[in-house]
Amino acid sequence: MELFASQLLNGLSLGSLYALFGIGFGLVFATMGILNAAQGCYATWAAIIALAAAESLGLPFPLIILAAVLGGGVVAIGVDQLGFQPLRARKVDMLGALITSIAFWMILDSLAGFATGQQSLSFPAWSYPGYMLTTNPIPLPAMQIISISTLIVITVAMHYMIAHTRLGSAIRAVGWNPVAASLGGVNSRTIILLTAALAGAISGLAGLLGGVLTSNVSFTLGQSLMLKGFAAVVVGGYTDVRGTAIAGLLLGVLEVFCGQYISTALRDGFTYSLLLLFLLVRPQGLFGSRGFIRA
Amino acid sequence: MTTFRKIVSAGLVSAGMLIGGTLGMTSAAMAIDPGTYKIGWVADRTGVVAFAGVSYAQGGQLAVEEINASGKLGDGVKLEIVEREGASEPARSIQGYNQLVADREIIATACCIFSGIAGALKPIAKNNGVPLVFYGATMPNLPELPLIYNVTSLPGVQEVALSKYLVEVLKPKTVAYFVLADNEAFQQRYKASREVFEAAGAETVGVATALGHDTDFTAQATQLIALKPDLIMVYVTQIPAAGFIQAVRQRGWEGHMATNEAISPIAVWKKIGEALAGVPFSVAFTADTAETPPAKAFVENYRKKFGADPDVYAAQGYTAVQLIAQGLEKLQGKPTREQLAEAMASLNTIENDVFGGIKLVDGQLITDKNNFVAWTREGKIAPWKP
Repeated sequence: MELFASQLLNGLSLGSLYALFGIGFGLVFATMGILNAAQGCYATWAAIIALAAAESLGLPFPLIILAAVLGGGVVAIGVDQLGFQPLRARKVDMLGALITSIAFWMILDSLAGFATGQQSLSFPAWSYPGYMLTTNPIPLPAMQIISISTLIVITVAMHYMIAHTRLGSAIRAVGWNPVAASLGGVNSRTIILLTAALAGAISGLAGLLGGVLTSNVSFTLGQSLMLKGFAAVVVGGYTDVRGTAIAGLLLGVLEVFCGQYISTALRDGFTYSLLLLFLLVRPQGLFGSRGFIRA
Repeated sequence: MTTFRKIVSAGLVSAGMLIGGTLGMTSAAMAIDPGTYKIGWVADRTGVVAFAGVSYAQGGQLAVEEINASGKLGDGVKLEIVEREGASEPARSIQGYNQLVADREIIATACCIFSGIAGALKPIAKNNGVPLVFYGATMPNLPELPLIYNVTSLPGVQEVALSKYLVEVLKPKTVAYFVLADNEAFQQRYKASREVFEAAGAETVGVATALGHDTDFTAQATQLIALKPDLIMVYVTQIPAAGFIQAVRQRGWEGHMATNEAISPIAVWKKIGEALAGVPFSVAFTADTAETPPAKAFVENYRKKFGADPDVYAAQGYTAVQLIAQGLEKLQGKPTREQLAEAMASLNTIENDVFGGIKLVDGQLITDKNNFVAWTREGKIAPWKP
């Protein structure tokens, strides 16, 4: 029972990373219609920026989080303005955006490799709460609790923002039809910039937490989040962050339990079988509606 | 003069001429023509194992510079490394290697960390008749004389020795293993070690696995701690080994663990720190335990050039170039790839041995010494004390 509970916690912690990353990824897809393959690099670069800030300035953990969030946001805005804005101006279709995002993925990944000296780095022990909250009846690492709590806060905040605020309405409007939104008085370009920054910031948060939890700040960090984050978005549905959060947690728990009770070698097969099943049976995801296009 | 004396005198004169001639040839004619001899190097300076790929390449680079500075290959003879980046990707490595072997100025080649890629490049080297030295592939039976060599100190051999030592000093009753599920070389290493423990009566209580691209090892740490084994053996690459050991220690488990050379580079210590202290591993070379004059000189020169301690990967890259250079030393005139291969095949050791005792057996480097070491709390590698 203790083992089951410990592994459940491990799964929820891992899943919270997938879910957080998926929320950022889904936001870009829902609002801009971009399947952004470079999104994983936002997580990587946010972690690298936060690590550099931690090591050079000796920041406390809350400010390290802020550095990651800002870093992820800035990188996302940079990619959007350099890569996607020119495509939007020329009304290039989704395939063009996907190819552009792949190019940015390659470039940012290579640069991340050089930035870390091709090493896997980690946050210094003093820079984050690496202690156990308790060891009885099960070990309760503070960082795992922080990661799960962060997901809950971000999910609630994002859901509220999208469903109940003017900014959320504007984001949904731009996602549905940017031209119509503009005619309705929404500054589409500003909303897109804000969305890109928000998505980058959330992915950056996932990158930071992932970097701390796995002691791995390298170009592989974003790659590992990317596919599972994408799976969380597909299973959860693009239209509702609650679906992405639940799907991400589900994927994390499934992965850990599959490794514990079945086989690690089959783990990814299980995960992607679930993805395939959802695409076949419920393509709109857990919370999506059948009639949706996007947003 | 009697007939007998005539015969003896003639014999002595002939022998003298022969010896004199041979010595003269050794000093003057036994050298290759002046010029630049190129070594094709498929590097892994980027990609998933770049942390090691950079070291291999820097070790090779240092060897070339030392050999050129020493003039040991003859007046006006220079070695040069021509690099193609493989990034540990099969397609890129094969493409890069094809480019290298197409250049007839390249007299020998070196490559590969992943055994799968090494296996893919082997037939290309054989078809092109070019010597190929593997500097990092750990799969046994890769060499094939006269063309294919492996200077990677096969870790399986050392790990069997470490496992035997652990049986002797720790006398574990139960052993658990953490292994890469998708890496054949590590699977073999784990199986060899498990055989040793089981033969000594230690029960295998569990095997946790991870995939090569995984980055989170909390689940595996939890799984194995719950089994309360006397010993956990870790047979994975650098990122999983470091992450797993840290996750285990963070969860308060203070039992015995042992692992492999993956945690030997200083970068791993900088990343993980004290959690690694006291975890024994076997490794063919470390800067902290270098004792012989060639090893000490290698450490000093490497530090001078790159501002960091060389690790076992750098030592292997260095040795790969030494092997090729030693083959060239045996030749004269303008050697061909085939002649170089034959010269290399005749070697049974490699000079400038930084490992402190090596031999070449059928093209495979074998290290004589078993270094059972561990990180200390001060961040140095020292012989492990149970």
